[in-house]
Amino acid sequence: MAKAKSEIDTRHYDVIVAPHITEKSTLLSENNAVVFKVAGSSTKPQIKAAVEALFDVKVLRVNTMVQKGKTKRWKGQPYRRSDVKKAVVTLAEGQSIDVTTGV
Amino acid sequence: MQSKETLNEGLKRAYTITIPASEIEARVDSEVKKIAPQVRMPGFRPGKVPANLVRKMHGEALMQDALNASIQDGIQKTISDNNLRPAIQPDVSLQDGYEAGKDATLDMSLEVLPDVQAPALDGFNLERLTVEPTDVEIEEALSRLAENQKNFEPAAKSYKAKDGDMVIIDFEGKVDGVPFDGGKGEAMAVQIGSGQLIPGFEDQLVGVKANDEKMLNVTFPKDYGNDDLAGKDATFDIVVGEVRKPAEVVVNDDFAKSLGLESEEQLRGLIKGQLEQELNGLTRTHMKRQLLDQLAGSHDFDVPPTMVEAEFDQIWQQLQAEAAKEEDSETALKEMEDEKDEYRDIAVRRVRLGLLLSAIGQDNGVDVSQNEMNMLIQQAAGRYPQEQRQQFMQYMQQDPMAAAQLRAPLYEDKVVDFLFDKADVTERTVTREEIEAAIEAEPEADDAKKKPAAKKKAPAKKAAAKDAEDDKADKPSAKKAPAKKAAAAKADADDAAKPAKKAPAKKAAAKKADEQDADADDKPAAKKAPAKKPAAKKAPAKK
Repeated sequence: MAKAKSEIDTRHYDVIVAPHITEKSTLLSENNAVVFKVAGSSTKPQIKAAVEALFDVKVLRVNTMVQKGKTKRWKGQPYRRSDVKKAVVTLAEGQSIDVTTGV
Repeated sequence: MQSKETLNEGLKRAYTITIPASEIEARVDSEVKKIAPQVRMPGFRPGKVPANLVRKMHGEALMQDALNASIQDGIQKTISDNNLRPAIQPDVSLQDGYEAGKDATLDMSLEVLPDVQAPALDGFNLERLTVEPTDVEIEEALSRLAENQKNFEPAAKSYKAKDGDMVIIDFEGKVDGVPFDGGKGEAMAVQIGSGQLIPGFEDQLVGVKANDEKMLNVTFPKDYGNDDLAGKDATFDIVVGEVRKPAEVVVNDDFAKSLGLESEEQLRGLIKGQLEQELNGLTRTHMKRQLLDQLAGSHDFDVPPTMVEAEFDQIWQQLQAEAAKEEDSETALKEMEDEKDEYRDIAVRRVRLGLLLSAIGQDNGVDVSQNEMNMLIQQAAGRYPQEQRQQFMQYMQQDPMAAAQLRAPLYEDKVVDFLFDKADVTERTVTREEIEAAIEAEPEADDAKKKPAAKKKAPAKKAAAKDAEDDKADKPSAKKAPAKKAAAAKADADDAAKPAKKAPAKKAAAKKADEQDADADDKPAAKKAPAKKPAAKKAPAKK
């Protein structure tokens, strides 16, 4: 898919970190939406551009959220897990992304 | 699923089976549905993973399983549709170029069991040769027992040791004047003439008296266990503690008591019982031989070559093992080669008899009950050390193949018994020599019949081989039992065929000992210690 097109900017790969596959995200597919983990510094327009470039689809909108890392303790020392930025990408009618096959 | 017969020749059959892709697909689907509620995946509660995801994750493996299952089903369906009774595990191969999503094409070839018509059960003329143990034999057995029980009693101080006496010595061995490891001992009992020590050692003890001191010059043999000492000259300084001479053992009440029995009467009774048992065994072997000969003589049908091959291999292996033990193994092997055809005939005969007996047993409802089976397992377990018994029993319960092996001889015995009942038996009392001669001679005559120009070679050996045969009629019966299952429940056909094929090979390995023991029960117990029971009791008595 995307690998064939050498003109894809490598920065797009830096935006999309991984697909986020959970029960909830599978349910979202009913609304033609896909969930990705994205880089913390990425913006909605960047995500939209990246998804459109990598998966060759039309993106209607992008909603993002930052899931704060939990505070855990290890040997009594508190530490924080990294924050994760997630993006719910809604695709145009009739389009889909197979999340299990990676790019 | 479609199957097409491609070969029908004698007992061989071959089929081509085509399994459509949709059938396999359906199987995968049902399998996915079945496992979906158990799948765990991060991000999902257990069992909540959607079916399409499950399929993606485990599809490959499921596909393989589904394919195998379809193949198994196809084979079994073909077998049951065509009313086949496989003699061996069918040989199945997937044709090249199979890919997921395509129709699978299989080639299957197998051999079927011949249709054995249960033979007429009447009209066997058997002769029961009964032998009464004679007093002479009892005496002999007793004296043999007494011989084993020989006691030594201290002799007078001035008594000079001679051959057969026991000498108690302290010794210190030296090589080149230097004591060596393990060369020192105290109060060792040496029986002169027993040949247990290095050659020459015992001879030089002849003539010693109590409290004598002596130096012995010996040479260690070249093949002595210790390399440092092998072939070396050594001296042993010995001090004789005591000379003992063997005491005559008289068979009387006291002797019986030393064996843990009450009286001489009882001992004699026991020995007589044993001899009778042994002779009954001989009688039975003889009758069985007659019966089998008659069966083999009156029936002739094709037998599956693979079964014959397996049987033959087994005979061959056994013979090779025996030949290897013989001094002149080269010649023995050569002789075996020469008689290969003969052994093959024996294998055919065994397989045929096995099939025949199973057919008879099946038609007449001879069956081994669970109780008998349990007893059998107990008996077999008794041969193992205590701690392994439990394990063995468990193994027997888990492994139907092993159980079938155990069951086969009993089943055969029961069929034979059943036939004995049906047969016309004429009684005749003969002597032991006569019955032994009859057992030896008959197979010889039988051979002669089979091969008009019988090669007259080592009759004793051939007889022995043949002799084994009757006991080995057990072996085909090991196959026979599973084969029977195959007929009874077609669904099991596949399972059944498996043990059929493996049984001989397995027997050859781990179970060999078992089998032989089991056989030994049948065998004329000539080789067994004649007085087994007293012998067993003797051990504690000695302590």
